[in-house]
Amino acid sequence: MCPVLGHLDGRFESADAEAEHRIAVLYQEFGGPLLRHVRKSTGNDLQWAEDVVQETIVRAWRNSARLQWEPSLIWAWLLTVARRIVIDGRRRRSARPQEVEPPEVDMMSVPDGSERALSAMVVADALRSLSEEHREVIEQTYLRDRTISEAAEILGIPPGTVKSRLYYGIRALRELLRDKGVAG
Amino acid sequence: MHDEVAAYVLGVLDEDDHEAFERHLDTCERCQAELVALAELPDQLDELRHASSTSDDDPPMSMSH
Repeated sequence: MCPVLGHLDGRFESADAEAEHRIAVLYQEFGGPLLRHVRKSTGNDLQWAEDVVQETIVRAWRNSARLQWEPSLIWAWLLTVARRIVIDGRRRRSARPQEVEPPEVDMMSVPDGSERALSAMVVADALRSLSEEHREVIEQTYLRDRTISEAAEILGIPPGTVKSRLYYGIRALRELLRDKGVAG
Repeated sequence: MHDEVAAYVLGVLDEDDHEAFERHLDTCERCQAELVALAELPDQLDELRHASSTSDDDPPMSMSH
């Protein structure tokens, strides 16, 4: 039985058998890889990661036309949907007082800690190689969980300029990391 | 619209722009191809969060040399 169905508490009571089948197939096909990916961005918080995967699968089911896409595009889209859900969750969490210590301490002591530190160094080096304009928009948006308009206000530049610098900055970063054999 | 693909991949578009871009993505093959190319890059940037200081007050990474 697909685990997502049990968790949704009858949300799909009215859905027909075909819809249930499709969501089960989605979960089977993408659930595992997605969970492994999402866990990395929830700091190994498994419960949070499982919630994110469920929400992602539900959104995919609601946008079933996109499931006609090539598998590589479906995967890219699912990763992006999941990331957005994680970021929204992180923004909500940081808006209220911390209930527990952030998990970063544990992250540094897990067995792959040195491997992680190494790839973090490679990424940090690549980021430093970018122009100041490109680097600062990446830092002021993604790395601080800020939206385009929030970053635009802080940087004192129009939102369109933030988007455009992000585009060229991210492409440049990808080229740098690909040259170093890190990016796919 | 095309250059919003980077902000979309990073999940930092404001809500209205995010929804508009999702609709754009349905028909834009160029943005679809760029989404595939960029989709895993944010995971690499996440390495910096994990490697950063444990204090919430500090920036995600230090750019000082």
